[in-house]
Amino acid sequence: MIGTSLCRWAISYFAVAIVWLLLAEGLMVAGFGFPNHDIGGPDTLVIVHMVCIGWLSMVLCGALFQFVPVLVARPLYAERWTLPALVLLTLGLTALLAGFLALGGHFNGPPWLLPVGAGLLIAGFALVVANLGMTLWSARPLPGPARFVAGGLVCICVTAAFGGMFSLVLSGTAVGAQWPDLLVSGVPIHAIAGLGGWLTFTAMGVSYRLLAMFMLAPDGDERLGRLAWPAGITALAVGLVGGVLAFWRMTRLDLALLLAAAAALLSLVAYGRDVLGLYRTRKRRALELNTRMSLAALASLAAAAILGAALLAIGSFQSHVGALAFLVAFGWLTGLVLANLYKIVPFLTWLETYGPVMGRVPTPRVQDLVAERRALKWFVVFFAGSWTATLMLLFDAALGFRVAVAVVMLATLGLSEEFIRARRLADVAEPLRLPTGAAMPHLLVSRN
Amino acid sequence: MTEFIDVDVRPILRAGGEPFSIIMAAVERLEPGEGLRLYAPFKPVPLFDVMASRGFAHREAELEGGEWEIRFLPDDGSVEAAEPLPAASSDGDWPEPMVHLDNRDLDPPEPMVRILAALERLAPGQTLFALLSREPVLLFRELTKRGHQWRGDFTPQKDAYQLTVRVHA
Repeated sequence: MIGTSLCRWAISYFAVAIVWLLLAEGLMVAGFGFPNHDIGGPDTLVIVHMVCIGWLSMVLCGALFQFVPVLVARPLYAERWTLPALVLLTLGLTALLAGFLALGGHFNGPPWLLPVGAGLLIAGFALVVANLGMTLWSARPLPGPARFVAGGLVCICVTAAFGGMFSLVLSGTAVGAQWPDLLVSGVPIHAIAGLGGWLTFTAMGVSYRLLAMFMLAPDGDERLGRLAWPAGITALAVGLVGGVLAFWRMTRLDLALLLAAAAALLSLVAYGRDVLGLYRTRKRRALELNTRMSLAALASLAAAAILGAALLAIGSFQSHVGALAFLVAFGWLTGLVLANLYKIVPFLTWLETYGPVMGRVPTPRVQDLVAERRALKWFVVFFAGSWTATLMLLFDAALGFRVAVAVVMLATLGLSEEFIRARRLADVAEPLRLPTGAAMPHLLVSRN
Repeated sequence: MTEFIDVDVRPILRAGGEPFSIIMAAVERLEPGEGLRLYAPFKPVPLFDVMASRGFAHREAELEGGEWEIRFLPDDGSVEAAEPLPAASSDGDWPEPMVHLDNRDLDPPEPMVRILAALERLAPGQTLFALLSREPVLLFRELTKRGHQWRGDFTPQKDAYQLTVRVHA
């Protein structure tokens, strides 16, 4: 029974994240990194980390600062830690990327760039994890969706720990030289914990509540995630523990990964079933654009699961892992994030602007802050581009991939403009737009 | 007149600690006839049964910001004779709600808007009852800002949240 308020810096996280996404897309269009260069090469690592940390992690952190308190009905543990975390993550990522660029021979940088970048990132994520972790801790026993977030927080710790060790190995320091095999067997763990645990698992948990809220579906915490959570946790635990054991030659990595993949598939199927259940019991007949586009992202996740299984079956997983990673990162995660930002940004802007006067004067609806027809066009372009880009990677068509990513980038720019218009209340009709007592929101930071 | 030992678990909970053992330790130390005054950031409903089984009745009072002051009194039949609760909390009996709202099927933030709009039309001290599909955590902040008091809880079936708001007197 404690109120929660707007997180002041959530919008700032979103804005920084979108800038990183656009940068990463720009580099891909320019032919930087995979598929023109080696998938494990430094240039590709620049793009992978721009997308996974700069874009996805940053946007997820901002969203979690706002929604974990709503999920567990407790205030955020320390609002004042959110801005320092944003600064640390941004500085850390910048140093890390500079380190990769130096590693790729683009400039003659000092060897400490990678460990320093990793250190700053670890510090930033530690602040995020501590803040969200303490918030969750105060709300035990956790409701279903929040348990996914807790699992995700554990995974970002694993991801960051491995990333930190890689940075020591790659920088050629004496400490790193003790683990010569780490890069070979550690990368799958780093990637599984990051993409599968932190990003996907957390997004699943948050989407349970967001989808239920916006489809007006009952989400009694009892049934939701009853299978998806334990199966997902099993997948992550088997993958991570198996991966660590493989490092000491105590088990075979591919066996652990196969078991983990089977559990992950079960978790995804259970999650898909849960979401379909929400969809069937929804009270809102005509779905809003954000929900429809979330379902499109979910279709990408299903496609990724099928594609992954098919690639494993025909034995060409290794050679096409890039296509799979792109589909997960863009079709699923980026699609889901953009779809939800399309609701979250107007919703937070509405609360910030009209909260103080609501009930006292007529206010617009949240939907009056957006123009769905205009945005639908950009979402169609986005998903078409993402799926085409995945196909181009499957067919090893490097130029086609760049053209498709250019289309994705155009859609990202279009959606960014929609978010800015929502912040500026540009689509709200005049008499309701700024009633007495309401103040125009700032573009990059919320009043709370 | 009952003497009270004060236990404030708000900082413990804020720091992520476990208050139950501290409360129980304080209960162990109570002299016969002494009561326990507990300050908590939420209404500690499960504690009521535990304390009842140890022979304590309770009086609850909501403080500002959704925090609670709970007085546990030795239940030797003297509870009725105990001193009245302080002014801020002597609101044990709220008037019957003037307005009933069923906001379960409304799109957020419409449930909040309707509650706040209805409150504007009520006289000071009058109450409103609303059914919601989930705990309205973002509404509480606005109620606090406007000086309204509220009581709320999930229904026993956990399928809805019932909220009563009393207009700022």
